[in-house]
Amino acid sequence: MSASIDQLTDWVRRFAAAVHEHRDELTRLDSAIGDADHGSNLDRGMTAVVAALDAEPQPSAAALFKKVGMTLVSTVGGASGPLYGTFFLRVATASGEVTELDGPAFAKALRAGLEGVVARGKAEAGDKTMFDALAPAVDALDAALADGDPLGESLRAAATAAASGRDATIPLVARKGRASYLGERSAGHQDPGATSVTLLVVAAAEALA
Amino acid sequence: MTGPAGGLVGIVVVSHSRALADAAVALAREMVHDGGPRIEVAAGLDETTFGTDAAAITAAVEAADDGAGVVVLMDLGSAVLSAELALEMVDPDLATRVVLCAAPLVEGLVAAVVTAAGGAGAAAVAADATDALTAKTAQLGSAPAGADEAPAPPDVEGPTVTLTLRDPHGLHARPASRLVGAVRGLAADVQARNTSTGSGWVPVASLSRLATLGGLAGHVIEVRATGPDAATALDRVVAAAADSGLTGALLAAPQELLVPDTPARPLGASPGIAVGPARPLRAAAFEIDEDPAGDPAAEQARLARARADAAHAIEAVRDHTATTAGADEAAIFDAHLALLDDPDLLDDAHARIAAGRAAGRAWADAVDAAAAAFAALPREYLRARAGDVRAVGDQVLRALTGADGPAATPGDGVLVAADLTPADAAGLDPATVTGVVLAAGSPTAHAAILLRAKAIPAVVGAGMHVLDVAAGTVVAVDGTTGEVLVDPTPAQAERFAARAAEQADRARAARARACEPAVTRDGTTVLVGVNAGSAADAATATGADLAGLVRTEFLFLGRDDAPGVDEQEAAYRDVAAALGGRRITLRTLDVGGDKPLPYVPAAAEANPFLGVRGLRLALRAPDLFATQLRAIVRTAHATPVSVMFPMVSTVAELLAARAALDAAIAAEGRGVPPQLQVGMMVEVPAAALRAAAFAPHVDFLSIGTNDLTQYTLAAERGNDAVAALADPLDPAVLALVAATCRGAGDDVLVAVCGEVAADDAAAALLVGLGVRELSVAAPAVAGVKQSVRGIDLAAAAALAEQALRAPDAETVRALAAPGH
Repeated sequence: MSASIDQLTDWVRRFAAAVHEHRDELTRLDSAIGDADHGSNLDRGMTAVVAALDAEPQPSAAALFKKVGMTLVSTVGGASGPLYGTFFLRVATASGEVTELDGPAFAKALRAGLEGVVARGKAEAGDKTMFDALAPAVDALDAALADGDPLGESLRAAATAAASGRDATIPLVARKGRASYLGERSAGHQDPGATSVTLLVVAAAEALA
Repeated sequence: MTGPAGGLVGIVVVSHSRALADAAVALAREMVHDGGPRIEVAAGLDETTFGTDAAAITAAVEAADDGAGVVVLMDLGSAVLSAELALEMVDPDLATRVVLCAAPLVEGLVAAVVTAAGGAGAAAVAADATDALTAKTAQLGSAPAGADEAPAPPDVEGPTVTLTLRDPHGLHARPASRLVGAVRGLAADVQARNTSTGSGWVPVASLSRLATLGGLAGHVIEVRATGPDAATALDRVVAAAADSGLTGALLAAPQELLVPDTPARPLGASPGIAVGPARPLRAAAFEIDEDPAGDPAAEQARLARARADAAHAIEAVRDHTATTAGADEAAIFDAHLALLDDPDLLDDAHARIAAGRAAGRAWADAVDAAAAAFAALPREYLRARAGDVRAVGDQVLRALTGADGPAATPGDGVLVAADLTPADAAGLDPATVTGVVLAAGSPTAHAAILLRAKAIPAVVGAGMHVLDVAAGTVVAVDGTTGEVLVDPTPAQAERFAARAAEQADRARAARARACEPAVTRDGTTVLVGVNAGSAADAATATGADLAGLVRTEFLFLGRDDAPGVDEQEAAYRDVAAALGGRRITLRTLDVGGDKPLPYVPAAAEANPFLGVRGLRLALRAPDLFATQLRAIVRTAHATPVSVMFPMVSTVAELLAARAALDAAIAAEGRGVPPQLQVGMMVEVPAAALRAAAFAPHVDFLSIGTNDLTQYTLAAERGNDAVAALADPLDPAVLALVAATCRGAGDDVLVAVCGEVAADDAAAALLVGLGVRELSVAAPAVAGVKQSVRGIDLAAAAALAEQALRAPDAETVRALAAPGH
């Protein structure tokens, strides 16, 4: 099965709703090890995204994700702006001017987005960043699709992997971003970026089921 | 390297905060005079919301570029990520002309704007911006080794000019930027160095490198140029320097040039001869720990332990000094102990540790900051405290690392050092250190006083060249004349040896006759007393006719409440007993704002030496004063006692003190003790000049030459820069001694209880002026008595007349030198 432009748009909207719902939790996580703005920043960005999509529905995957990315880079403000912005811009480029994406195409687009995040943030596994949830999710998606699982089921596996990766950030010592200034004191806290990106993958599993 | 088409490189400022970026741009624009580069700001999501926006950065880069390229400066975090993203979003052709610059935002922006205004290309602008941190790290002394050392420009031959900096702020950023602009665009390699500091050459084209020259008012900057436009470049540099006021009218005296850091000539600081191998004192070789051994709590604990260790060490030195040199000299170490607990210093060190620094690095940086703050103060008295801060700081660092103190090359010989801290001097062993030569220092500094107390011959102010003397080179020192001979010829060595033998003979003879009275050749008896800071001092004073000065402060310092009548009486009687019941001269409490007592309220004073001290303080603390006078009166009923009031300026003060004494006598109810004598110190020129007005109210006047010299010549004894001025044999001081003796008349004894009384050369002079009591440190008593025995009163009076007419202290010393 393939994901239609409506489903892809729904993914974005569900992610916006999840961010809004978990806004305070994300901010609380960020207040422990960062500058306490992840929830509010990302919510401001995704609220702007939803408003843009309401005003002007996008005709293609490339147009949709570019809109999301450009809106985020201009409205989020913190580091998650260029990081999520790059993610969606790379996803847009990889998706192309199409109105639906099949499993492998969607997985390829997510992989491109992940690579964009790596290029932008220079993060590696274990740095206690969004990478630690997003990378296992993309790997799990590829693996499930390779096993012949349908996209929806594969995305659920990806969501599980993201959540595991997110939870695994708790004991880590941050090596990137504002949290790295805390050094050892960042250990014991769940990374807010890994948390929000898990919401993104979970939203995909729900929207593209 | 010039941008194409003559256009200037544009600059983009990326920040989380619009206000921050706008202010930084305003600051940077002050540096450029003729337009300057295009500067675009992409900062904040709006006027007040923090954040960065890659799309806004993209637009700013496009607006800043006019074909010559763009340098982007960023603050932190998302600013960097957003700028990188923006670089992907601009036209690829433009992207090749854009440099994302890692320079610190404010420093980098200022440097970038200046460099860009000079027409440099994007890479050069970015390089100069990145260099901008170098000046700051060099200034703060925190640069990692080598970080501030850019490769030295090659040695070149070419025309040079020198610029003497007249701007009171030195080579600061604005005139420096004019120099940068002057050489931009010329086919010349232009370099500058600070000849006053001996800096290396730096390119004039770089604002940040110019800043590392540290050019202060009065410094001489040398500029050289090579290349086809070399001559033009130097012309422009000279014009820009004059135009910007850098070399213009002298607006303020270049202080650094007026203040010598050593006395003008070598001075004898502790009498005696020493000939022996040089033992250079090596600066404390300890490493500051840079890597925390544990978490901040553990590092805080390490610092606390090291401070406690240092406190113990300082207390030991203080106690040792109190017994060997007196409570006055020991008080300096109380000040060191107070610095050890200074709350500002501690807060700073703790904050640095909390930020992840090792205890050693945190403490060293906090000490540097505190010392620098003192050193920057306008008052010399406070500036001099920087040395105390560093001395204490080093002691803690040594405790942290377990390092020893500064170590002299092992073996017996003559210690050679730049200067000695009081603690260093207190720790010297006369058995192995036969003499001391200091490049700096002052004969009246605490270190010199301690050396005299230890009878180690010493010369101070010998000049920095003595530090070049190799270990083992024979050095001959005459602590009386101030002579220092390095590698003396056999004849010279023989002369010193003969002098030393003569002195040894004299000392032996003096010791043999120590207990006989000191009578001049023509039969005038001169009393020779001991200055005592404790009963122990008095006990060691073989031959002393009396205690001419008992510093009662030893009872009052280092405690939280004042001693009572009984405790004081017991202590005074101990001093008298130690002297075998001879007369003791008890000086009432003599402290001031420089050594405040916790139980005497005192306002902070900018200059404690001109503030509430001595009798001024006693009259403001009547209960404290009354208690001491009661104890003195009781002692006087049991043993011969003289009471003496310090720091008297007016007759009214003296009368107030006498009234207090009368009240104490009345309160005791046993009448006036028959052997009680009353006197005052003459330390203030006003008292010396008007001695006749005081004389009817006293039995004796005792001249404190240390303070009298300080006040007469307005030169502080502890300040090396003016040490040569503060010579107690200055004719002005002698004139005040003469005035005191004249005013005292026949019935009032004049004593001298300052350091100069122990000066071999001075005894005849002082007796010739009319002084009839000399009170000195215990080891000097026998020698001074022997000097008195050689005096012919008529000759001494003639000598004194000559000395009063002498142009300066140096001439007086030459006149008074033994054998003259």
